[in-house]
Amino acid sequence: MSGKSFLIDTSACMACRSCQVACKAWNRNDGTVTRNRGSHQNPPDFDGNTFKLVRFREVRAGNKVSRYFFSDQCRHCIDAPCKDVIDSAVTGGAIQDKATGAIVYTEKSKGAPFKDVRSECPYDIPRQREDGTIVKCTMCIDRVSNGLQPACVKACPMGGLHFGDREEILARAEKRLATLKAKYPKAQLLNVETVRTIYLVVGDPKEYHKFAVASANPGVTRKVALRRMFGPAIDALRTVARG
Amino acid sequence: MKLTRRDFIKISGTATAGLALNGMGLDLRPVEAYSWELRTRDAKETPTICCYCAVGCGIICHTDTKTGKVIYTEGDADHPINQGALCAKGASVYQLARNDERVTEVLYRAPYSSKWVAKDWDWALKKIAGNVKKSRDASFVAKDEKGRVVNRCEGIASVGSAAMDNEELWVYQAMLRALGLSSIEHQARI
Repeated sequence: MSGKSFLIDTSACMACRSCQVACKAWNRNDGTVTRNRGSHQNPPDFDGNTFKLVRFREVRAGNKVSRYFFSDQCRHCIDAPCKDVIDSAVTGGAIQDKATGAIVYTEKSKGAPFKDVRSECPYDIPRQREDGTIVKCTMCIDRVSNGLQPACVKACPMGGLHFGDREEILARAEKRLATLKAKYPKAQLLNVETVRTIYLVVGDPKEYHKFAVASANPGVTRKVALRRMFGPAIDALRTVARG
Repeated sequence: MKLTRRDFIKISGTATAGLALNGMGLDLRPVEAYSWELRTRDAKETPTICCYCAVGCGIICHTDTKTGKVIYTEGDADHPINQGALCAKGASVYQLARNDERVTEVLYRAPYSSKWVAKDWDWALKKIAGNVKKSRDASFVAKDEKGRVVNRCEGIASVGSAAMDNEELWVYQAMLRALGLSSIEHQARI
């Protein structure tokens, strides 16, 4: 399998959030009005204007406190359940870019059932804008297909974010994992086989974020299951109908 | 109805074998190829230095060639200091130029007033100079309590100025010393 992938090395992250800001700057997303909740994680969650979010966690083990930073974003699943849900409602609501494998939502995603799309995502990524469009990280597809790095990767001053051809990224991930294993026996890569955004964590992923790893049972809805079975036939019929 | 060869393969392939193959791990659903336009494609690129802290990261400022307005800013990959990376403040620097909240003229609030009044720069500079003179004359100490000559101004302090370069700072601090200030601080230490 080719295409592109991210490597997000959480052990290098210092939580400066420049990835989060660079994402907003490139995508021209407005700020979100928030209030002080006693955490540096701000805004508290993804929203219609936030596709990238650094999540902050403090984990206590005995007398030692670990601070976990998790630069959360869309995983660009190789077989994306959200795309299935959107496709079953509107044609062209979600696109899988051929060259990179990026999953990109379009304006047409307005017509898709948002609740289903969100609940189908094993990582709880999609959010909805006020106008009904469903949004998330686009892999900076406009930048990437013009030979640039995604805005977040470009901005990262710690070398925690990497982007490139999948094989290269996988090799880099394995190498970095081997290095970290010596100091952190729990170091692991998350959902490597199924996603294009590969996280490298040094502790229990659930302690970083509830949805750091794919939910154990994504709960495929009947509609989606049907879509998966008959998808090719439906696409073929649509092609014929469009003529 | 016009059928291209690709469509034909898609239809015949997916309609017959597609169902069976899909279950075997082969996905014949079409994967679209799109062309994506870069929004900074025609922009003019100008290298600049981040105005915030003393690190001095390089930034490329993309401006619209027609309107001259800033479209986007990002780290300068050729700059030796940051090599393309930026911190959260530097990454948001385009908001300096594109910001409805930005103050574009001198605003003055008189003592005990609750209103801001727009003034011109000449007025403001004269006012500042007048206040500096007044405060310095009032707080100037020629000799300390033991009779030693100190010639210092205790009523004014200077803080900040990260956007100034080395030479500007030298001139600035020379002026402050000439006034007799001893409380001089730079943002790099704050």
